[in-house]
Amino acid sequence: MTLAGREPPWRVLAGFAAVVAALAAAPLLLDAYTQNLFTLAFLMIAGALAWNWMGGYVGQVSFGHAAMFGIGGFVAARLMLATPVPAPLAWLAGGLVAGVFALGAHPTLRLRGPYFSIATIGLGEASRLVFTYWERFTGGASGLSLPLVAGGKEALYFWGLALAAAVTAASWAIRRSALGLQLLAIKADVDAAGDVGVSSTFLQDLVFVLSGAVVGLSGALYASYFSFIEPNDMFGFDRSISFVLMCVIGGIGTVLGPVLGAIVFVLLRQFLLASYPQLYLGLYGILLILIILFEPLGLTGLALRVRRRLRRKPPRALHAAGPLASSASANEEGC
Amino acid sequence: MARLLDLAISAILLAGLYATMAYGLGLIYGVLRVVNLAHGGVIMAGAYLGWWLHDRLGLDPYLSIPIVVVVAFAFGAVLYRVLVRHLPRGAAGGPASLLLLFGVWLVLRNGAYLLFTGNDHALRTSYSTRALPFLGTWVSVNRVAVLAIALVVPAALHVLLRRTYLGKAIRAVAQNADSCTLVGVDVERIYTVTFGIGTALAGLAGLLSATLFAFNPAFGAGELLKSFVVVVLGGLGSIVGTAVAALILAVIEVFAILVLPSYLTAAVGFVMLVVVLVVRPGGLFGERVLG
Amino acid sequence: MKDRAPWRRRSFGTVALAAILALAACKSRGPGAESKTEIKIGATLPLTGSEARIGGFYKEGYDLAVEQANAGGGLEVGGKRLPVRFTLLDDTSTQATAVSLADRLVNGDKVDFLLGTYASHLVEAQSTVAEQNKVPYVNGGGGATQIYRRGYKYLFGLLAPVELLGSTLMQWIDGEQQAGRLPKPSRIALVWENTAHGKDFRRGVQEFAQQRQGAYPIVVDESFELDGKDFGALLGKVKASGADLFLADAHLPDYITMQRQYVSAGLCHKVVSYGARGSEKGAIDALGPDNVLYILSAVWWSPQLAERQGGLAKDFVEVFKAKYGGRTPEWYQALGYETARALFTAIQQAGKVDREAVRAKLAEMKIPSLLPGGQLSFAADHGQQAYYPFVVQQNLPGGRSPLVFPKEVALAEGVAPNPRCAK
Repeated sequence: MTLAGREPPWRVLAGFAAVVAALAAAPLLLDAYTQNLFTLAFLMIAGALAWNWMGGYVGQVSFGHAAMFGIGGFVAARLMLATPVPAPLAWLAGGLVAGVFALGAHPTLRLRGPYFSIATIGLGEASRLVFTYWERFTGGASGLSLPLVAGGKEALYFWGLALAAAVTAASWAIRRSALGLQLLAIKADVDAAGDVGVSSTFLQDLVFVLSGAVVGLSGALYASYFSFIEPNDMFGFDRSISFVLMCVIGGIGTVLGPVLGAIVFVLLRQFLLASYPQLYLGLYGILLILIILFEPLGLTGLALRVRRRLRRKPPRALHAAGPLASSASANEEGC
Repeated sequence: MARLLDLAISAILLAGLYATMAYGLGLIYGVLRVVNLAHGGVIMAGAYLGWWLHDRLGLDPYLSIPIVVVVAFAFGAVLYRVLVRHLPRGAAGGPASLLLLFGVWLVLRNGAYLLFTGNDHALRTSYSTRALPFLGTWVSVNRVAVLAIALVVPAALHVLLRRTYLGKAIRAVAQNADSCTLVGVDVERIYTVTFGIGTALAGLAGLLSATLFAFNPAFGAGELLKSFVVVVLGGLGSIVGTAVAALILAVIEVFAILVLPSYLTAAVGFVMLVVVLVVRPGGLFGERVLG
Repeated sequence: MKDRAPWRRRSFGTVALAAILALAACKSRGPGAESKTEIKIGATLPLTGSEARIGGFYKEGYDLAVEQANAGGGLEVGGKRLPVRFTLLDDTSTQATAVSLADRLVNGDKVDFLLGTYASHLVEAQSTVAEQNKVPYVNGGGGATQIYRRGYKYLFGLLAPVELLGSTLMQWIDGEQQAGRLPKPSRIALVWENTAHGKDFRRGVQEFAQQRQGAYPIVVDESFELDGKDFGALLGKVKASGADLFLADAHLPDYITMQRQYVSAGLCHKVVSYGARGSEKGAIDALGPDNVLYILSAVWWSPQLAERQGGLAKDFVEVFKAKYGGRTPEWYQALGYETARALFTAIQQAGKVDREAVRAKLAEMKIPSLLPGGQLSFAADHGQQAYYPFVVQQNLPGGRSPLVFPKEVALAEGVAPNPRCAK
């Protein structure tokens, strides 16, 4: 069983704390380039985990999350350009506005499955066009440049780490909680869930807003990291797809999945690009195909299989039920 | 007045283009309940194939229609057999089918990069800029051809679906696949054929696009998104609905320039997509999609 | 119950292990050797992605310059000849990649200097890495003025501002208007792709029109999306506006598509321009020579300057043809080449492979150049962006596209109004 009533998993918490501490100390060992890569990975981890709340926990796969990412980035950037507000507050403001924007998508939450996904594509693309046109907000196609912060990127490493750690912890906590079970119920059958007293409308709104807010927050830090953002990059379809890719490749619906997926996404690009720039698109495509067909839980699923094999347990027929349903089984494994 | 007439003609021609783009997507969804995200990739591949046939063999694009259609059909059939067949059916298969076919699209894009580089290509024939006078304005010959094909395809599909055994089988499978198995219809074969027809239509749309636009491996994304709008508007699964929806979308997009900046007229379609999904999810002609 | 916790620990252990492995894999080779035996220069270019075509051309320019530099054994630096080691990576036309790769070049591979990438938004993003790390960044690929308004000290740009593209075209048009060949006022239909390039082009035209109060009313001012496909409604609006001049700014595929639809719709204006596009071979192949007649384009450099300006422009064309099988270079290769050459010259002038010294030399640089005007400098009041006139070409019958403006380099007289409209 996955719910409250068990003893707090001290070993897990200790392990998590150890990893965070190690990462916090890492800058002493790492050169600037690797450190910056890690920062980017932290931001993507946070964004992917937040996307996963909608896509994996609730089961509503969004292809339009770039809208929140972009809003978070541009709101924070505008604030930092126009006012002496310190960066962390600007980031929070960006996240907040992005969350509110997500609320505006409330009517689409009634839709299920691919219809919701298609609606999010529409929202995402409409947002991109409108915000690219809205020069006073985003600077139009030219984008916005932020003043460089002295020693900025080192500080961003720690902010990024804090964000990623917080979102990971939150994801894990939600998973284990009553809320997580309710979300699972909504994912499985929203009507039946309503019948047993799960307030699905409210919860979906809540998760959508939180998901949007955190993705917006990561967008805001992204803006500070690059010191330059432009709407086609922030609001683009490729950006929305990147969240989907990270979670599906890593393992949709799990906690570890988006983390692994984001790491792979950021690092793979770096290594592949240097040697085989032509291949990365095709490689992602093949990975996607293989994952959907054989291991819907992506890398996490592979890891679980290996672990089960090591413990001599019988294999589970996970793939027949599809990626979203099978993540429920992964839930039982504690991922 | 002349302005309005111009816009109307523009809209009709654009509708022809949108309809041709959307048929394949609509058919596959209507029968298999699979959202073919590789649709954009097949359109792009069709464009490249048409260009290549013209460039290497000097084949006129309209003469290569049979070739492109057959190749695209074969590709779709193989794609179904090898990959799509394994997807779980029904609503639960939704996101999985989206992602699987998206993966196929990425592979197609990469393939095009490797074969043709990322440069833009254009297909020029002697009649690329030829235009016919019509009601005081000029209409491009290629655009008229696209419109003609946009009208022929639903007619052809109608004949296929109503007058042939295959067509009856397709309709039956679309209604209730399990019962079909009971009465001896080879459902998998029907799915394969339908998927193939769907990709064949996409390839055709790509070939026609090559006569109109310059393209590169990233081509197809915008077309895919517009096709979504058309198919959702028309009611997933209704071919006639698709044609009418294409007209509605085109009219709204074209006439929007009277009130909106040109750049934003593209957003109108997406807003309509969301509004229709939320307000009347069955589209204007189709069935309900909630629950 | 209990085995879940070790899994969690193991999974985080896996993550940590992966992190350490990644670290090990990309840890740099430690601080660079103190005594310099070579000059390490890094750059990224969009070799795949939306800007791949032009990125490839810039690469040709860079490669040629590096080859020349190394031909005699390297650059003459402080009495020694040091070879140039050039590392070029593909940034796939995406901002995040361009920045990450620049980071890697500077902090991982420890390059001494950076050459820029192509496309304004990529340059704008990538230059922040250079500035933060105090590495001279010389680019020939970013023309948007806002890149150079940030007060960066290590950023140097060879592309003249895109506004000048618009205003140079307007200057030629103005000359025609004053000679009576174009009506006064001449109504302008201004159509621009919604990118940094398009916006700057539009601003150049608008500012010129404002100064000439009333002589150039802008009756259509619309943007369109990059890689838009259907311009029917937009062109319809242009048609209905009764404009005299049609000024557009577009990338090559949009130019081809739009011009096709323009011709099919039976449109014709007294002056037609697509900004920097006009005489590309790819366009002539796609559209047919008849359909590009009398189109004007303004570019940063033209191989015809070899004739008119001689000197370094001529030398460059010869060397390029020798290396690339007789092919004639266009502005992209010229800018790539000249960008690298500017950096190399600064290094030689500084006499040592030292970032601060080279930066100082770049800032005060005044050297002869293949660029229009024959001089290259990075004036501080333009944010260290080079400032020189564009050259205007017109497609004329017989398959030629001679320079028509400015007078000093013109090879032919421009033709206005467009004779095709007389029919």
